[in-house]
Amino acid sequence: MSVKRYSSMEYDNFEDLLFGHSKYPVKTGLDLEIGAGYTTAEINYAPRPNAAENQATLVNEYERITRDIMERMVQVGFPSVVLETEHVQQMTHNPEWGADIANAQKAIMEDYHDEYGIKCALRHTVGDVRGDREKIDLRGDAYSRILESFDQVASSGADMLSIESLGGKEVFDHAILRNDMRGVIFSVGILGALDVEYIWQDICNIAKKNKVVPAGDTACAQANTAMFVAGGLLDFKLSHSMASVVRAISASRSLAAYEAGAIGPGKDCGYENNIIKAITGYPISQEGKGSTCAHSDLMGNMSMQCCDLWSNESVEYRGDFGGTTVQCWGETLSYDCSMMNTALEAGVGKTLRDVLMVSDRYRDPQAFILSYDNAYRIGEVITAHPDDLYLRAKEAGMKACELIESGSAGFLELSKFEKATINKAWNDLKSLDENKESFICNCLDTYSSEVDTFNTSNYGL
Amino acid sequence: MIDINPKNTLIRYNILVESDMAPEEMAEKLYPTDPHIRQIAKAVFEGDEDEVVAALQNTIDSGVDPLSLINDALMAGMEVVSTLYDYGLLYLPDVIISAQAMIEGIEYCKEQSKQVHESKGKIISYVVEGDIHDIGKKIVTVLLRANGYEVIDLGKDVPVEEVVAAVKKEKPIMLSGTALMTTTMHAFKDVNSRLLASDINVPVVCGGGAVTQDFISDYDLGVYCEEAADVPKIADSILQGLDIRKLRDTFHKH
Repeated sequence: MSVKRYSSMEYDNFEDLLFGHSKYPVKTGLDLEIGAGYTTAEINYAPRPNAAENQATLVNEYERITRDIMERMVQVGFPSVVLETEHVQQMTHNPEWGADIANAQKAIMEDYHDEYGIKCALRHTVGDVRGDREKIDLRGDAYSRILESFDQVASSGADMLSIESLGGKEVFDHAILRNDMRGVIFSVGILGALDVEYIWQDICNIAKKNKVVPAGDTACAQANTAMFVAGGLLDFKLSHSMASVVRAISASRSLAAYEAGAIGPGKDCGYENNIIKAITGYPISQEGKGSTCAHSDLMGNMSMQCCDLWSNESVEYRGDFGGTTVQCWGETLSYDCSMMNTALEAGVGKTLRDVLMVSDRYRDPQAFILSYDNAYRIGEVITAHPDDLYLRAKEAGMKACELIESGSAGFLELSKFEKATINKAWNDLKSLDENKESFICNCLDTYSSEVDTFNTSNYGL
Repeated sequence: MIDINPKNTLIRYNILVESDMAPEEMAEKLYPTDPHIRQIAKAVFEGDEDEVVAALQNTIDSGVDPLSLINDALMAGMEVVSTLYDYGLLYLPDVIISAQAMIEGIEYCKEQSKQVHESKGKIISYVVEGDIHDIGKKIVTVLLRANGYEVIDLGKDVPVEEVVAAVKKEKPIMLSGTALMTTTMHAFKDVNSRLLASDINVPVVCGGGAVTQDFISDYDLGVYCEEAADVPKIADSILQGLDIRKLRDTFHKH
């Protein structure tokens, strides 16, 4: 498949961005249509650690998980549900394990669909196992195993294919701990985008062959690392403004999957998906207040603003007072979706969207730049430079700085530290090389010597 | 689009508690007074590796023992950084950058001295088998080295046998292990069992993404650590004689 760059926004106006509605809905699974006027819960889970002992125990664990979820959905009257199985390593390393699990899950979902008519679909997110103890080998044997895993799950019941790709992580980890904006642009905007583009061309071919959906990627390994290190308001680990700039840049990386043929819904943990939806018109999955089982964040309501699937990120399967964890969190997510769907039916969807957005808009710079109006503005600068991965990543970062700076003149309060950080990030970005070629050349010199796991051949450089 | 003044709906506590004093101003009050030592400590604070070495060279040229500068100047500078980090005036990248400068300084002092420098203690750090997420381990390793510990860094995705063999060989005061995923963290249990089977009672300090205090508390040698910055404090506590029960009393927060 060829790569087609976005040079314009699929949405004409940020006011048109709304949960449950996407410009290009995705039909998938058993009668489900994502982004076609309603939202659906996407429930994500991790098996209990001892369940991965062998293939049979793991298949059995996922059968229990699937049955529990489907049963709770019909018990409480929810019309649709998506299950996301994020592979534990054994499932990707042994593609037949993943295939068996997809097959077992889908059989249960089909039973419930047949009996109750509940609309449902299964996403499998294959593990990115391209790194090991000694090195990161993005295009070697492990890559072939990933593709084999995609092919097997796609032919065995998975309706949507995703991955949380690793590309650029080795340089990003080095850069983010040193406030090195040049390294951030290089790792996320260049290396990450090159890897996403490479892997998604192959995933899209596999999806086409198996007639399933190439859904999308996430910059989890970069932007979420920054977000988690930044932590809460009183965690003085990483500037939240810096994490915001990384998030904006990461949209350029995640967009590469769609430019290679992905059609959504993008992965839940891609908080940059608001920007992606504005650019591509494809539906997105998001997580927020329903994913506190996995982590805290500073935009728990706001991330519902444009979601099409509403996710809990991940929860370990075990018993809780209200049932198993997948039942409890699935029910919470589905009630949120019920609220959004009711608002849509009543014609007050945009009012609810704005309430959700404004309740977090000023909580943190990260939330501020992802508010749908600002997300749209970041999308505009990315699409203004369609043929230059470097320039579009740099401009996305600079737009985030500009938005935070202008926001701080209003209700977005910044500490002295955050103000200093955003000024430094902005100046660092302004002082970067003029063109992509010299930027890449200089970065190759620097990071080849500073990061021992960085191998240029992983990126075709 | 709706917009409101959020003053009645949220409180930015970070701004509420922000100090009026800039970190540089606070640091000025904490540096050692001797001009040579102060220059070295300040260079560590500023994370300027070249300036650290230049300031060390000046001081050594004036007749000061290079090894004494590790504790008296480099560690003093890092102590200022740690103090300001604890106060919330510095952020993790500031600490990492200062720590790198300090580690450069330590190496320089060692090169300049004919005597052997004794570290505060030996610690093994690793990421559990099956897990390649190592940013947490990298942070912990830098912080430990900056606090004067010798760190045997086994890397990521480290088999249990290798961890146990390293403990037998190196005899560390503690292990620092990290795991991101629930599916890999059971390797802590295997390390715990294998060490106990060999009558080794070294604390295994565990942290990272999916790891919880409840999970780690189930293992005799386990000490849960939520914050990377606490790891050097745990090591200091071990040197002060705290056993695993007392470490848990002190560092288990939930």
